Amino acid sequence: MADNEKRTMTLNLTVREMAVLEELAAKKDLNKTGVMRLALRLLQAVDAKIQAGHKLMFEDEKTKEKGELLML
Amino acid sequence: MTVSQVYLKKIAINQLVDASLYDEITDQHLAMWKSTWVPAMEAYCQGRAEAKKPDDSQWDWKWKAEGWRPFLKYHSFSIVCEKELQGLMLASDVKSARVQDQFGKPIVYVELLASAPWNRSKIQKPKRFHGVGTVLMAAAVQLSIDMGFKGRVGLHSLPGAVSFYKDDCGMTPLGNDAAYGNWIYFEMTEKQAAEFRQK
Repeated sequence: MADNEKRTMTLNLTVREMAVLEELAAKKDLNKTGVMRLALRLLQAVDAKIQAGHKLMFEDEKTKEKGELLML
Repeated sequence: MTVSQVYLKKIAINQLVDASLYDEITDQHLAMWKSTWVPAMEAYCQGRAEAKKPDDSQWDWKWKAEGWRPFLKYHSFSIVCEKELQGLMLASDVKSARVQDQFGKPIVYVELLASAPWNRSKIQKPKRFHGVGTVLMAAAVQLSIDMGFKGRVGLHSLPGAVSFYKDDCGMTPLGNDAAYGNWIYFEMTEKQAAEFRQK
């Protein structure tokens, strides 16, 4: 299958989820499909790291304080 | 896989010649890298001090390919001209912009970009083809547009490529990045991307 071949699906979201999606789309300067595609890529990359035994950490650039983001 | 016709300048005849830009680095391209690019790089590096070797002389594209191929976030590109590999690029699409007026917006990030050794003046004089880096950067900008990122591109420049990204590509330098070997981080805005595409 060619990588640029597209498939269409219907996505059922709650009102809150849709509001967040619209907010992210505005913030990221993307349409809603773009946000979902970005989310899919990130989740795949993060999941691979978690599966390999890595932790997902965030660091405050100023204080250098680290916080772990728990992934299920 | 899509193949696009692009043009490189053949230095020996001072004319543009047809080349093929692939939106994938295939096994065949990796075999070409191993059989031609690697020996040329090894020949140049032989007997040279570590500091005098090209920054990418240790990049193992075959090994790297194993790491990027399973992931949606990666996009690989290659250029072939006159049946020889001329350049390779790996980009990703999950990083965010740092420039103030586009901060936090998604960018295409160029992870790796290299011209074949025979296309570099420092390695071979005269070099064989000119324009490989420009074609690959144009591919990164086009990918950014295709992804809905409006041409925004970011990268960390190897020390030897700083003037290319600053002067030829018109990108904004944002200083040395301690988290990336102290290499200079560059970013291309939507406006800079439009100007680059006009060239």
